[in-house]
Formats: sequence, C-alpha cells, structure tokens
Amino acid sequence: MGAAWRSFVSAAKAPVGLWRTSLLTRTVVLTVALSGIGVTIIGGYMSLTIADNLFSSRTNQVLSETAWAASTAQSLFDNSVSAAGTIDVETANTAAQTAIRSAQSSPGGSGFAILRTPGQITAQTMTSSSSAGLDLSVVSTALRSQVVSQPGALHYQSITLEGTGQSRPGIVASASLQVPSAGAYELYLIYDLADVQSTLTAIQQTLIAGSLALVLTIGIVTFFVVRLAIGPVRRAAQTAERLAQGFLEERLAESGQDVIAVLARSFNKMADSLQTQIVRLANLSQVQQRFVSDVSHELRTPLTTIRLAGDVLYSQRKSFNAENARTVELLITQIERFEIMLTDLLEMSRYDAGAVALEVDEVNLVGLVEDCMDQLGALAEQKGSSLVLEVRGGYGDSEVDQRRIRRVVLNFLGNAIDHGEGKPIVTFIDSNEEAVAIAVRDWGLGMSSDEVERVFDRFWRADPSRQRTTGGTGLGLAIAQEDAIAHGGRIEVWSEVGQGTCFMLVVPRNPLSTWRESPLAMPPESESLAGILESGVVGKGDSR
Amino acid sequence: MTARILVVDDDVALAEMISIVLRGEGYTPVQAFDGPAALAHLADSTPDLILLDVMLPGLDGIEVCARIRETSGVPIIMLTAKGDTTDVVRGLESGADDYVIKPFNPKELVARIKTRLRPSIDGAQQVITICDVTIDVPAHEVRRGEQRISLTPLEFDLLLALALKPQQVFTREMLLEQVWGYHYKADTRLVNVHVQRLRAKVEIDADAPTIVQTVRGVGYRAGAVVGQALTES
Repeated sequence: MGAAWRSFVSAAKAPVGLWRTSLLTRTVVLTVALSGIGVTIIGGYMSLTIADNLFSSRTNQVLSETAWAASTAQSLFDNSVSAAGTIDVETANTAAQTAIRSAQSSPGGSGFAILRTPGQITAQTMTSSSSAGLDLSVVSTALRSQVVSQPGALHYQSITLEGTGQSRPGIVASASLQVPSAGAYELYLIYDLADVQSTLTAIQQTLIAGSLALVLTIGIVTFFVVRLAIGPVRRAAQTAERLAQGFLEERLAESGQDVIAVLARSFNKMADSLQTQIVRLANLSQVQQRFVSDVSHELRTPLTTIRLAGDVLYSQRKSFNAENARTVELLITQIERFEIMLTDLLEMSRYDAGAVALEVDEVNLVGLVEDCMDQLGALAEQKGSSLVLEVRGGYGDSEVDQRRIRRVVLNFLGNAIDHGEGKPIVTFIDSNEEAVAIAVRDWGLGMSSDEVERVFDRFWRADPSRQRTTGGTGLGLAIAQEDAIAHGGRIEVWSEVGQGTCFMLVVPRNPLSTWRESPLAMPPESESLAGILESGVVGKGDSR
Repeated sequence: MTARILVVDDDVALAEMISIVLRGEGYTPVQAFDGPAALAHLADSTPDLILLDVMLPGLDGIEVCARIRETSGVPIIMLTAKGDTTDVVRGLESGADDYVIKPFNPKELVARIKTRLRPSIDGAQQVITICDVTIDVPAHEVRRGEQRISLTPLEFDLLLALALKPQQVFTREMLLEQVWGYHYKADTRLVNVHVQRLRAKVEIDADAPTIVQTVRGVGYRAGAVVGQALTES
C-alpha cells in the first residue's frame, strides 16, 4: 500500500514539477483554463437565450393558433343555432372538430380535445371529444381550473409528452367555448415541441464543439506565441549557463530591433566585460605564479651554493679556531632557517596565487600522526613533554594530501612542544561518517581570547620574548589554515590562559565531500591523562 | 680511475661549488653551462654520471635529458628548484633516473650519486628469464629471443630487482630502497614513472604488461618465470 501511495505521489508530482519548472506549460495551462471558463459562461448564456427565444416564439404561434381555432369553433357553434333556436350539438361538434383540425396547422400539433366543463346542468349535453391516440392525462387539473376560472383568456402549460421510448417536451394551450344550450366547454390544443428541442440540441452541440475548438485553438496559439516569446529568453539562459561553466566565448545572436535584440546586445556586452575581467585576472594569476616560480628558482640557486659552501666549511670546522668555528655554526643554522622561511613564503604565495593543487592519496591518518610524533619525539623529550596518542576513530583510510596534512600536524605538535611548558601533549584522532578530526592539546600557558583571534595572522607570534625551538617562521598556522581549507576542512582553536591550548584540524573523508559536525568536541577531554591532569600533579619531568 | 661527473648548471657559482664538493669526495667533475655544451661533453668526455639543472637557458634540462637518452643510458640526476609535480614528473619521464631539490646539502647529493654509481645488485644467477625475456646479468644485457633490448642501468637494476625474486611482490617503498637507495620515505612517483619507461621497452604491449605486473594496492612483481636459471655464480 505504501508503494502504491508513493507511486501515486510521484505520479502526482511529475505534473507539479512541470508546472513549477516550465513557464510554457504554466502559461498554456492557465490560458486554456481561463478561456475555457470564459467560453463556458458565454456559451451557457447563448444557449439559454436561444432556448428561451425558440420557446417563446413557438408559444406565441401556438397561442395565436389556439385563439384562431377557438374563435372558429365558437362561431361555428353560434351559427349552428337554427332559426327555431334549436341546435344539433353533435353535428356542430363534428364541424367544429374539422375546423379546429385545420386551424391546428403548425408543425408539432399532435391533437386536441374538447372537454365539457364539469359541474353544470344544461338542456343538452355535447359529447366530449378528443383526437385519436391523445393521452388526456397531459391536461392537468390546474390548467383546467385556470380555464374555468378565467373563461375569456388563453392559457398554456409546458408538458412532457410520453412517447415511444422517450419523453418529448410539449405545450398545451386552451381556450373556453360556449356551446349554445350545452354550456361551457374547454378546448385544448396539444403541441409536440420535439422539433424545437432537436433544433435546440443541434445548436447546443454546435456551441459545445465550437467552444472546445476555440479553447484548443487558443491553447495552441498560446503555446506557439509563448514559445516564440520565451525562446530567446531560454537561449539566453542556456548561454548564461555555458558562460558560468567557463565557456567564455559563448554569445547570443543579435538580430532585429525588438526588445529581444536589446536583451541579446546587453547580454553580450555583459559577457564581453566578464570575459575581459576574467582573462585579465587569469593573466594576473599566471603572472603571479610565474613570478613565484621564477623567484623560487632565482633564490634557490644561490641559496644552494651558499649552503654547499657552508657545509664544506662546517665539515672543516675542527681545523678553525674557536671563534671561526662558532661563526660557521651560526652560518649553517641561519642558512637552514632562511631555507625554511623561503619554503614557507613560497608556499604562502602559491596559496595566494590560487596555484595549489592537492595530491590526494588514500592515507591512514593514525599512521601519519604516529610518524609525526616519532619525528618530534626527541625534541619533545628535550623539553620534558611526553607525547600521548589517543585514537578514538579514524582507523580507516581518508583521501587527503599526505604532505599537507603532515605539515599541519607537525605544526600543531611543534607549537604544543614550544608552548607546552614541559607538560604532556595529547593528540586525539576521531572520525565520524563524514569527517576526521586530529586535535593536539597541551596544558601549557594558553592564550587570551585576543591572542586566539590573531593566531592565524601571518608573522604573528604569541610571545615575542619566548625562545623558539622548532624554528617557526610565523607562517606555520597561516599555511596550516590554507591546507585545511584546500581540503574542504578547517582548523579550530581553543585556548585559555593557564589551561593550555588545543588546535584541531577537521577534514572531510575526501576533499569533495561535505561535513557538518566535527567528530571531536572542543577541547577534547583526555581519558588516559584525566586523573593525573585534574590533580594537577603533572609538571615538568613528570612525563613517561 | 675516479668517476667523471658532468655538472650542467647555468649558474657558474653553483656549478663550481658542486665541483668543489665532488672533488672533495674523490670524483672528477666536468662543468658545462648550457645544454649544447652538455651534449658536446657527453660525446667528448664520456661522463659516468650527469648532474643536470632543469632550468637552463635555451635548451632546457628536460629537453637535454631527452636528447641524452636518445644515445646514452648514462645515469642522470636532475637538479630542480621546484617541488612542483609537473616538473618532477616531466623530468623523470624524459629519462632522468633521480632528482634532487634545491637547496640540497652535500651529503644528500653525494648519497644520490653513490647509489647511481655503485655496481648493480649482485644476482646469485647469471642468466634469468622472465616470460620471453632473458636477462644476462654479467653482460648487463636483456634480450627477447635474439633481439637485444637496450635499457639504462637504472632500468636494468629495476628489472633485475624484480626478476631476482619472482615470487615476491615489491612495494614502491621497497623498490625505492633497493634500486634508488632511499632509506626514508621518498617520492613514489620515481617508481611509477620508471616502471612505465621500463614497460615501454620490455613489454610487447605496454598496456597489458606481462613482465612487470602491477599488484593493485601493493606494488609490482615480475611475471611468471618460464625457464629457471641455468648457472649458479
């Protein structure tokens, strides 16, 4: 049943969808519906008026015939009175019937009756008569009493004639007769209106067929007109879509002087200016990338020479005196620092130029984090911090750029070691269906909220007086943030003075997918260190 | 006799500095400052190894590399200023055996040179056959039937490494260690590109490789051995 309902709903949705998406459909349907209503009203009114006119003209004809028949019969009766004052009513009756029959000449005249008005006592009685096959029940008592009460006037009533198989409309008209010595009689003339009805039916059928054809024509005309009108709009929409897809050469055809041509010209003008802007920006970006690449080469070649020279000198430092040996050592460390800075600067400018492409691999992030921790293990030990890993998820592979994620994690760990005050540093990994999170938490000095806000600024340092160990360039977090964004992820920071700091990287499981919720809460609570940390026992040198 | 190393770099200072380092290590450096000079030296002084800068004026390093490969299998190590994927891959595809990114330190450079100059892997066997290809280890020759297939020393080493243990699947990292001498994580594109180059030479249909087979998600292995080795060395 559910399935049936669903299929019904989907069947019902298809036209609804068409209604919503297609201007053409909407216009045609609306036009047809509205003109249908209009034509129905007009047609109905016409049909009613025609029926009315047909009926009244026929009624008038019937009434005039009735009047003529009545007066002919009346005069016949009156003239039948002999000089002696007697009357052969039956002879007069026969003559009157013949006269009435010839008077009832219009089509549909189907019979008549001469009925004696009941309840009178007269000298003679004339036989009531009627034409053969006439069903007298069509003459209602209401009509009869009307005729009796107003003997001078003509009366009529619409009736239904029961014929073979079907009933037909009819009319009965009446007048009163005064037969000398036999009293009051009533004359009834019955007319069959089937011919009027069939004329009316034919007219109505023609009206209906005409209306339908009219509505259909209006629909078709609307369809073509609307299509003609929205065709250019649709082409403009398609062209705009192509432009949006990056086909900057796409243009509309400009012909004529009408509003559509104006639209096309404005559209093309817009596309031209868009194209020039985009091409200009693309060129700028290319120039920038070219510049970055040139600088890279131009700076690195002399730097390589300097470095080689430094290393050659360094390897011979034992033969130098103390001061020269120290000089060479300083030279070497500063060359290294310079190198790292150059690398970071180039990376940053590559991001600025938008010239970064991810090299995505299936990577196990737990393994990657373990590698990073191994790499910085010695440094952490030197500072008295123990590195702890808490894996809560993320065992599966994620699609990330290994080099960049490694760089981010190393940066987090390096910062934590630098500012961790020798307390343990916990790295958390967790994942959900959409994303993986890596958080590095220290229990060091922490930062104020003002400092947290500036933490991603280039060349910003939390505390300039603090000694640096990992040789940061001040670009680390700025690059890390760009790395996260390039993956479709982000970096979150939590920090409180005296409580420590936590940096968390959240990236989707692959760079193209989206995610809503971070798998880790901020800041994550360490399970392995919970007891120790709360009691505040952990201090420098208290690590594993 | 010490190995002769051709240093091709348009930066005179760097070329000279590299030469000093190489001389310190006991090699005989020869300098060339542009592509045509490098090609001329290749004919004159028959170097044992070439250090080639990617960015050279006029004829660029990648082009020079391709020209050298037309006539010689001499080991080539590219000196590149860029970590950019495209340049590294283009360099390797044009036939470079390895690359070093500037700025490098002398130890790194010397380690790369030593690996490329050391004698290739000692095989227990002298002649190995995989599928329809015969590897003659002492003669450094690979043949299909009577037809000799010309491989660079690196490609020979790569094929030999795979062929010596036909049952084993080699990961890219294993090959990097065994053939390129990297003991730490290095660029696996080295392996990918050289496997492609090797296949182009030894396979009948490089798109359906039978000699160097890919094991999905793991690495590579040699195709089935048809005839077992003949002699023990």
